[in-house]
Amino acid sequence: MLATQTAEYSVRNIVKSFGGAKALAGVSMSVSAEEVHCLAGENGSGKSTLIKIMSGVHAPDSGLITLAGKEFTHLSPRQAVNEGVQVIFQDFSLLPNLTVAENIALPTNILNSSRFIGKKETKKIAEEALGHIGVDIDINSPLLETSIASKQLIAIARATNLGVQMLFMDEPTTALTRKEVKKLFEVVDQLRKRGVAIVFVSHKIDEIQEICNTITVLRNGEVVAEGLMSDFKAKEIATAMTGSEIATSRIAPLLGKNPRTLVELEKLTSKNTFDDVSFSISEGEIIGLTGLLGSGRTELAEAIFGQYPVDAGSIKVDGKEVTLNSPEAALASGIGYVPPDRLTQGLFLEQSILRNIVAVGLDRQRSRWGSISKKKLAKIGSSWISELRIKTKNPSNPVSSLSGGNQQRVVLAKWLSINPKVMILNGPTVGVDVGSKREILEIIRDRAQAGMAFLLVSDDIPELVQICHKVLVIRHGKISKEFIDNQISESAIYKELN
Amino acid sequence: MSELRNRFASSTLLSDRKVTQLMGFTLLVLLIFSYFSSDIFFTPENFTSMAFQIPEVAILSIAVMLSMLTGGIDLSIVATSNLAALLAAYILTKHMSEDGEITNLWILMACLAGILLGLICGGINALLIAVLNITPILATLATLTLFNGIAIGLTNGVSISGLPEQFARIGNGTFFGVPTPFVLMVLIALLVALIINRSSLGLKIFLIGTNRKAAQYSVMGDKRVIAWTYVISGLLSSLAGLIIASRMSAASPDFGNSYILLAIVVVVLGGVNPMGGFGTVTGVVLATIVLQMVASGFNALRFNQFFYLAAQGGVLVLVMIFNVVLENRRRSKSINKSLES
Amino acid sequence: MRNETVLILAIVIFSLVIGSKSPEFFTLANLFDILRSSFVQLLFALGVLIVIISGGIDVSFPIVGIFAGYTAVVIMQKFELDGESLLIPIVLAIVIGTLLGGVNAIAIAGFGIPTLIATLGTAGIFRGLMLTLIGSSFISDIPIALDQFSTADLVKFESAAGTLVRLHVLVIPITIITILISLILSRTLFGRSVYALGGGVEPTRRLGISVKGTQTKIYLLAGALSGLAGILYVSLQRKANPYDLAGSELDIIAAVVLGGASIMGGYGTVFGTVLGVLFINLIKNNLVLLGVSSSWQRAAVGALLVIGITLQAISESRRNKRRRALSEGEVDSNE
Repeated sequence: MLATQTAEYSVRNIVKSFGGAKALAGVSMSVSAEEVHCLAGENGSGKSTLIKIMSGVHAPDSGLITLAGKEFTHLSPRQAVNEGVQVIFQDFSLLPNLTVAENIALPTNILNSSRFIGKKETKKIAEEALGHIGVDIDINSPLLETSIASKQLIAIARATNLGVQMLFMDEPTTALTRKEVKKLFEVVDQLRKRGVAIVFVSHKIDEIQEICNTITVLRNGEVVAEGLMSDFKAKEIATAMTGSEIATSRIAPLLGKNPRTLVELEKLTSKNTFDDVSFSISEGEIIGLTGLLGSGRTELAEAIFGQYPVDAGSIKVDGKEVTLNSPEAALASGIGYVPPDRLTQGLFLEQSILRNIVAVGLDRQRSRWGSISKKKLAKIGSSWISELRIKTKNPSNPVSSLSGGNQQRVVLAKWLSINPKVMILNGPTVGVDVGSKREILEIIRDRAQAGMAFLLVSDDIPELVQICHKVLVIRHGKISKEFIDNQISESAIYKELN
Repeated sequence: MSELRNRFASSTLLSDRKVTQLMGFTLLVLLIFSYFSSDIFFTPENFTSMAFQIPEVAILSIAVMLSMLTGGIDLSIVATSNLAALLAAYILTKHMSEDGEITNLWILMACLAGILLGLICGGINALLIAVLNITPILATLATLTLFNGIAIGLTNGVSISGLPEQFARIGNGTFFGVPTPFVLMVLIALLVALIINRSSLGLKIFLIGTNRKAAQYSVMGDKRVIAWTYVISGLLSSLAGLIIASRMSAASPDFGNSYILLAIVVVVLGGVNPMGGFGTVTGVVLATIVLQMVASGFNALRFNQFFYLAAQGGVLVLVMIFNVVLENRRRSKSINKSLES
Repeated sequence: MRNETVLILAIVIFSLVIGSKSPEFFTLANLFDILRSSFVQLLFALGVLIVIISGGIDVSFPIVGIFAGYTAVVIMQKFELDGESLLIPIVLAIVIGTLLGGVNAIAIAGFGIPTLIATLGTAGIFRGLMLTLIGSSFISDIPIALDQFSTADLVKFESAAGTLVRLHVLVIPITIITILISLILSRTLFGRSVYALGGGVEPTRRLGISVKGTQTKIYLLAGALSGLAGILYVSLQRKANPYDLAGSELDIIAAVVLGGASIMGGYGTVFGTVLGVLFINLIKNNLVLLGVSSSWQRAAVGALLVIGITLQAISESRRNKRRRALSEGEVDSNE
């Protein structure tokens, strides 16, 4: 059931496997000009492989690519650009050391194979491009000093200059405020009206519904849903993406009577980031913290971990005021932190699973002579491997050999092994499969039951609804709303967020 | 349980395989040279002379290895070692009598002064790299120039020779038949091996070299650990400098200029990953021995010393090419694996 | 403050200090001497600059230079080429330099070896091969044209004080080459690609710029510049000594870094490099006028470099803080 019969850009039965594993198992998708098409799916569903095939990075094993009537079995990156296919990656692929103008003009220079680049020409190309999409950015400033929203617009401007016919936007709203998203959508709409076919990759259902006309949902390399956006309800899209009804029933662990307060924030303020934040976490309590990226939620979490400067206000641990100006100080106060990016911040990928698990607690394992017993470390490691059911044949395998869900458990084990009083988890279930997600939430519940307190920073509203005693919504650095127990519901939180 | 322990012990499997490869390589070099020039190469004299030359290179290489394990590099080792040796030589010549006699106390003081200076040099590197966050290549290039410049300035570029005989005896003497420097090297190698394998500092060095950011989030005091590696590197460099001074009975601002290249060749050949995170002391010591055998083999075959220089460069480039090719193959394999799972 | 501004200020201050101590500093003769000693270094420095902007580092260039210069002279003599010709040895040296640059390119672009390790290795190979295969003896009777070129002065007169004031003719070609490299870096696609590479390898690749191709061109160009520098060095010294130049990489990298090029890549200008080279030579040549023995030259360069990189590190960390405050301000302003 395709959306339109006059589709101009399509793929048919694309199969792509890497070393025996099928990343795409016969995917077809069709996008026509003047259409914003949503490509949705969880991490690992095949979205990025599909983008890479259409932009010429990968060649498919079989299948057909049709671009404005021309048929291809595979594309080279140059061919893709020549046919008007452009991708805006999540990191924008811009160069921080060049100016805005140079960044916009460079791909045009390359496309025209102009050996010489004049200053005037660069300026002209950049101004024209920004003019196309109707935005005004200082083209002479170094890219390093522009905001994320500006970078997004610069990346779009750059694409329009290359005669873009089909534009992939990979999670473009991730780091934008609501206002910036509005501006972005205006630009996207304008491009659409000018006849560009846009593929909008996202999993934020409200945004998809706002901007997209048609949708394709991928799961495990297959198309599991497609059609007109208006035919889908939010819940149906979510179900299609995850492959299961999301159980949103709340099973928050029971709190003890009069639980002891562990951490108390009072009017915590960091200039221009978060402002006047007060709340407390008690023994066994799970507090959810959510907000858009850029709302200050990560900064707040990292401030409690001593990673981010605080200008005013106080933090009390166990009733005593403490200065948390370094992670060392936070650790000494019994505060642990699982950072949002597992691969770059959480894990030592090439090192063994065991070494990863003992990474935080090393100093505590020192003997009187300052030495470390390998036997003891191996014991600690293996007990956590079985405790958190980390699936591995050999604990001395590099942690990179594990799946995402198991990797995340290693990060959790690393912190749980030192038994902190308060654990801050920032996006603990991002990019893990449904099964692992359930188990990770189960682990959090168990620990909370045993008295550990949690601050759960997350985008994933259903997850917050499932296990939190209290959910705080942060907007522009301020706690805008606090939901307690039975006030907590997905719809209420979504409403507060948007 | 014991199986698990064994697995953990061999968690540096990659490096261990490299050590095995090196053993084979050592044997091969031995065979080649014994075939071509057994009359000169395979003599006790030759092996004794190798045992005197190996330690200084090995100790400097271990110093480079430590910084490289954290993902950095220390280019100032030779400048530091010369500066320390010069200070010790200066004190020795100041306090020796006309006929070259000196009290053991002054020898000790001179060595301690040299070691202290080595620690200070290492401390300056630590300050620039760990505190000011300057790229190790750049920071140690700058201190290399500074330390070497100070050595040249103080001595006018002239070496200090004619050190007291008691001091020279240390570097040229034997201990139960084994050259004293060799014994010192074994002790230092054991100590460093103990540190990097059996202390929390050592494990942290490997982890920081693998992913500095994750180390920061794992609260292991990454700056302190990195600072320590450069301080230890300065210490080891000064020890190597003292051994060289003792063996040559002289100190000079431009001794061992070729040792920077040699130390890096040794370290890379010894299986240390230049990006950090992996490497063993055994590998480094073995690599030093291999290269010293190659050097004295070339010598026995009457090859020009500069041919050895070219060979060092060649070995470095070839080993790197080999590693890169191997790494690419390993990576594509592991990508396939993770996609299958 | 921009790096170039800081350097100009430093040059002015040092000049005033030295000049106040010794009036002979402010003479045309001294200025021309500083220029003369900067020619060869500047050529090397331009090559190093391009490499550093692209995010690499090269420690093989002095060896490439002397290899090319010495070998060119050896070839001239061996094949009894026309000693009257200035062009032949220069072209020979540039060709040899380019070939050696090609070896670096194979190691770095072809195999992806980290640049420091690759060039350390190739420097050992080049030096070892030169001294074993090509020659290890000092040549004092270099081809006549090269020898005469060392005194080819553009301006030459006796000053009122009786000193000989000479400005070498090389000032013209070196200026042209410097401007040319500056234009290449700022006005060509290749130049932009060099900066792009230093800004990030992955985004550069996604832009459709060939990373390997750009790297290859960079090391070939650096090799050619080093070859030219090497033969000019031989000519100005009026002798070909294969042991020369080894170790001079430190001064030149110092000049480029003080000139504001970032060793992490992405930043650096020809103007800054010119100032850096002049500054280093100003200090080295006039240390004696300050009453400091010339044996302290290297220590002075080392101290300058340590101070320079410390200041750069401090201002960088300040800028980072400011940038954070700035981007947060933007978030804030959206309320």
